[in-house]
Amino acid sequence: MQAIATAFGLVFDLQVIGVILASAVFGMFVGAMPGLTATMATALLVPVTFFMPPVPALGAIVTATAMAIFAGDIPAAMLRMPGTPASAAYADESYEMTKKGQLDLCMGVNLVFSVLGGIFGVAVLILAAPMLAEVAINFSSFEYFWLACLGLTCAVFIGTGDPVKGLLSLFIGLAIGCVGIDPAAGQPRFTFGNVDLLSGINFIPTLIGMFAVSELLRGSVSLDQGSTMVQQQVGKLMTGIGAVWRKYWKNFFRGSILGTVIGALPGAGADIAAWVSYAVSKKLSKEPEKFGTGHLEGIVDSTSANNSALGGAWIPALVFGIPGDSITAIVIGVLYMKGMNPGPSVFLQTPELIYAVFIIFILANIVMFPLGWAAIKSAKQILRVPRNILLPVILIFCMVGSFAMTNSIYGVVLMVVMGVFGWVLEEHGIPIAPLILGLVLGEMLEQNFMTSMIKSDGSFLFFFERPIAGVLGVCTLIVWGLMLWRMLPFGRHGQPVPAGETAPP
Amino acid sequence: MAGPVTPDKVESMRFNDTVVGLAFIALAATMIAMTFSFPSFPGQAYGPSLFPRILGGGIIFCALVLILRERRAAVAAPWLVLADWAREPRKVLSFVLTLAAMLFYVLASDRLGFIPSAFLVQIVLLLWFGVRPLTALVVAVGMTLLVHWFFGSMMLVPLPRGILDSVL
Repeated sequence: MQAIATAFGLVFDLQVIGVILASAVFGMFVGAMPGLTATMATALLVPVTFFMPPVPALGAIVTATAMAIFAGDIPAAMLRMPGTPASAAYADESYEMTKKGQLDLCMGVNLVFSVLGGIFGVAVLILAAPMLAEVAINFSSFEYFWLACLGLTCAVFIGTGDPVKGLLSLFIGLAIGCVGIDPAAGQPRFTFGNVDLLSGINFIPTLIGMFAVSELLRGSVSLDQGSTMVQQQVGKLMTGIGAVWRKYWKNFFRGSILGTVIGALPGAGADIAAWVSYAVSKKLSKEPEKFGTGHLEGIVDSTSANNSALGGAWIPALVFGIPGDSITAIVIGVLYMKGMNPGPSVFLQTPELIYAVFIIFILANIVMFPLGWAAIKSAKQILRVPRNILLPVILIFCMVGSFAMTNSIYGVVLMVVMGVFGWVLEEHGIPIAPLILGLVLGEMLEQNFMTSMIKSDGSFLFFFERPIAGVLGVCTLIVWGLMLWRMLPFGRHGQPVPAGETAPP
Repeated sequence: MAGPVTPDKVESMRFNDTVVGLAFIALAATMIAMTFSFPSFPGQAYGPSLFPRILGGGIIFCALVLILRERRAAVAAPWLVLADWAREPRKVLSFVLTLAAMLFYVLASDRLGFIPSAFLVQIVLLLWFGVRPLTALVVAVGMTLLVHWFFGSMMLVPLPRGILDSVL
């Protein structure tokens, strides 16, 4: 109880509230601009939050992402261009509604169910995380090793359309993570005698490069792709929402549950949650023929799902230090930089910090309602900001942000290299998200692996001796077996994923 | 996970999987070769070289599957597919210019200072992307000063002063 009171004190501080509101507005804007994603918003926020204490830093990220995921629905309905990949699943459906003159209802539903879905995800996070943490407190390096393996495998398996390319991306990420001083013996690796590389590949410039610079490079050749706005006036948003709730409340719960679970699975985030719940909604609907013609049902499912996924993704991130999506991968990077290694011990040592995150999450979803309202009402002005002005401005922010992380030009060099590398990978249908997860988890994985090897004196059997480790290990091996079977080209041809479809979750 | 795909439009520029696979095999082989210079501890088969070797092996394995998969496909993939924008000189220039702007900043910001280089990068890109000159000037000056104030004065990031050293 003491901790909860402290947490309230930490959050309800004038400066913290100010940071939360400012990042909410920032998140709304980035989310509403097609081509700028929620992950990019987070990547750009990190250099700014770097200099803050943990609570406002986490608050900024939580709030900005929640807003961005909702705000992505606005251009989806008005321009048929999803503002973030998480709204792509139902962009066509929303646009059809707009063409039928139901923009008000569509936006109202998106707003209300985004808020409710977000709160649902947070509720599950608040209930599940402390319980899981109590189990996880007894974990040793063996359990963590298998957990990290399972998480990374999961990221490759469900987060990507082509498991071979997903796995390749993961290995590349882990390999990049090897640069620097190795965690077990202190041997410098792959540093080429460079002092900057000794401390490893700095995470934030890499992130800004992969998520923002690569996006800018893609944007530089598609600046002329505009689209026309169908409708114009936004009227009363809340008319008819009650009726929608009475008719589709089951869809809301189904979408939110699915969203939270998918969010909690490593590697899959809000965009996959939206795609899956939209598909499930169509499959289980009584009137599937109406889907695609401007039908509300699927929108209720998926707009709830993508916001609930945000809360879900924090469960494995806070409890095990294994990110549920690329946004929480960034969060874990931030936590490490602040010297707080995520994991069950945080729940014991600094519970007020965990509670503060919970409070901010709830707060963000509540603030989303009035701010979202305002964003919808002023959408015409927001969407009129030309992308040809934004691109150079964002570029400057990227470069200064990366510079600030190392206080030297090394950060900017790293950002450019990683930006081009990320762009090349995505052009070839190799997804970025597994790479980022690998980069974040690489050191932890290797450390737990080496510690376990030393404990067991090189015997692999030891990896299965503790009961939970044994179960996790066997599960991992089964999944790996299945994966090998799926990957090897025995007759069954993999479906390569077109580039651009693998936008970071 | 697929959105609407229009087959007649080529949006991404890609080498075929054989080229990609070979490139990654070369990288991974270099990585593994480098691990042989790491010290090993007597009587212990697992040192700093173990993990990179496993990863290198993993990369090679994935690359081989990619190559094999493409070899078995009925239609041979061309070794390079150009995106549509690569045929439009203006767009190619946009791409090159965006990259060049970053390289310019990397090379020049230390000597020139943050304010002049950030201003130059922005004004050139803004004008190239067709922003009206007056707007471009206002945005470039405004954003440069804003970023300098926020990061330089508020966050105390040591942004390079360059030629303005005596003024600032």
